[in-house]
Amino acid sequence: MGAADIAAPLAPVLSKTPMVALLGNPNCGKTALFNRLTGARQKVANYAGVTIERKEGSFTSPEGRAFRVLDLPGAYSLSAHTPDEAITRDVVAGLRAGEQSPDVVVCVVNATNLRLNLRLVLEIKRLGLPMILALNMVDVAKKRGIEIDAARLAQELEMPVVETVAVQAGGEKSLLRALDAMWPLHEVKPASLSAIDAVGVEDTQREVRRILALVSSDARDTGNLTERIDNVVLHPVLGPVILAVLMFLVFQAVFSWANVPMDMIKAGVDSVGGLLKGAMADGLLRSLLVEGILGGAGSVLVFLPQILILFFFILILEDCGYLPRAAFLLDRLMGGVGLSGRAFIPLLSSFACAIPGIMAARTIQNPRDRLVTIMIAPLMTCSARLPVYALIIAAFIPEREVGGFMSLQGLVLFALYFAGIASAMAVAYFMKRTMGSNHKQPLMLELPAYHWPHMQNLALGLWERCKIFLSRVGTIILTLMVLLWFLSSFPGAPEGATHPAIYYSMAGMLGRGLEYVFAPIGFNWQICIALVPGLAAREVAVGALGTVYALSQSGEELAQSLTPIIASSWTLPTALSLLAWYVFAPQCMSTLSVVRRETNSIRYPLMMAGYMFALAYTASFLTYRISLFFIGG
Amino acid sequence: MTHAAPLITLDTLTVGDSATVVHIAPGDAAHDGATLARRLMELGFVPGEKIRMLKRGMPGGEPLAIKVGNSTFALRRFEAALVSVQPSIQPE
Repeated sequence: MGAADIAAPLAPVLSKTPMVALLGNPNCGKTALFNRLTGARQKVANYAGVTIERKEGSFTSPEGRAFRVLDLPGAYSLSAHTPDEAITRDVVAGLRAGEQSPDVVVCVVNATNLRLNLRLVLEIKRLGLPMILALNMVDVAKKRGIEIDAARLAQELEMPVVETVAVQAGGEKSLLRALDAMWPLHEVKPASLSAIDAVGVEDTQREVRRILALVSSDARDTGNLTERIDNVVLHPVLGPVILAVLMFLVFQAVFSWANVPMDMIKAGVDSVGGLLKGAMADGLLRSLLVEGILGGAGSVLVFLPQILILFFFILILEDCGYLPRAAFLLDRLMGGVGLSGRAFIPLLSSFACAIPGIMAARTIQNPRDRLVTIMIAPLMTCSARLPVYALIIAAFIPEREVGGFMSLQGLVLFALYFAGIASAMAVAYFMKRTMGSNHKQPLMLELPAYHWPHMQNLALGLWERCKIFLSRVGTIILTLMVLLWFLSSFPGAPEGATHPAIYYSMAGMLGRGLEYVFAPIGFNWQICIALVPGLAAREVAVGALGTVYALSQSGEELAQSLTPIIASSWTLPTALSLLAWYVFAPQCMSTLSVVRRETNSIRYPLMMAGYMFALAYTASFLTYRISLFFIGG
Repeated sequence: MTHAAPLITLDTLTVGDSATVVHIAPGDAAHDGATLARRLMELGFVPGEKIRMLKRGMPGGEPLAIKVGNSTFALRRFEAALVSVQPSIQPE
């Protein structure tokens, strides 16, 4: 307990709520421990000026002391190689403006892998901050026959060592007791980072080996379950087959499991609309509430189940350790178009939303690789496109079984996802050629041991997605719905009007103007109107179509599903053209603004918007003309 | 015990074989090679550590899945080529 004790006579006792920093290698179970400590009492934001996720929470110790806790990004070393690691280094060393340096560092190590994890512990120890070592995953270690003498380890490291099992209720108790035992805490300044570089990696590793020889039985860790699973999952032939089947099942599930909850949400929104209609007199306010707010926001809300199902699978695959294996399998393929296998994780996240995907690109060390990944991330089919796809597919693609077990609708959806992926690969290849770098990129990807996904982590992850989506529906989407309702309600129709009222409104004028641009690709003015608010968030276009058509249906049956309306008023080529448009179009301002922040330049978001618009227009034009030729209007 | 096997670079190690890390060469200076070598060491590729070649990706035998200590890392061939290893003599 050296550092704290030496500092004690000199430093004043800490007066504010102490800040505990959780720090450790990636895959050490640090975030699970954070969730265990804080439960739902956590705040997720970004570090000032960058878009790296900052997770802070709070908890109370058994003796009633309040603590703040920061979950620092995982790092292999304090000699930072990625922006994430740089944040960890700067926060723990007290160098980051606006962040208080931690009062206690809890170093979380994976007990099954001390050989790798202890090196970071020794590095951090040189900063001289009060430290606790949390031997996490001791249960797994014991099962594998790895015995660790915690008392001896504490003696060698000169810091308290506690055993934790982050995935078990009560598995954090020992850590809480150790924190209480450290009381009273003193104000300590971390030593300079040069203290870390003073010792070479080889010398640190020699020290690790010396300590390990004293505290740990050298388990023969061969032929364990992870290796046996990897023999199948990373098999040159079976591996890619398993990956493809998994991805396909995920997309089928997104479509079929979501039906029941979607119908329930739809029915709920409808009945509230009916109640309001019955209770209020016909007028502007009723129209705003029922058509603008309920009709608009409700038609987007209905896609929450699909988004949650998709994230359910992504989070499970991530938690159990499959995602890095997928990156391994795809590395050669992605390397062929100039991407790193690591780009797989940002790109997969982009299937949910391009924004977390673009942010996840920070784990790619090489700036060029990172830029290419960011530029193609929006081509991955994000969940905000799903509402549009789902609407059009439901209206135009018959519900039919293909080959006895697949639905035709699911198959079309799969094709749309595939189009996004294929075009992303083509764009990456083009960028590799034009940006002319043949610089070889390192991969250095850890393949962690498999473990069962943990329900609390999964629930917290889903809850976070749910909050993000609902707050979007409640803020930006709702605002746009009201704005759109206003645009489509004023000015009203003139005397003796022959068209529906919206035709004469501001939205109608705008849509009719845009029609000149979009007529060659088969879009009518209703679609053109819906595309404008769709710039704020792709899924808004569905609500906008709802409003456009509901208002033009002379006020009757407003909450009625949009599907039969578009099925009867659009041609198949128009529908296909709109699907093609949505695969490519730069239809999301928030993505562009995140790209601006991440690349710190206005050039890249402009380039992105430009190339995506060009692709979208070309693809829609070809789709429309070709399908018109074969199917006819 | 003396090893009869000559030194090879890690990228040429046969799948299933074990070896001991002998030396990490700094990579090509133009490609930020010193940092690359340092990171390899930070991941556990330190002289004296035992490693084992678990898998090779397809196609082209890339990337490589290598067990070092108790962790497994995927490396591309050129990264693995920086690591000189002494193959262990396989039990008959």
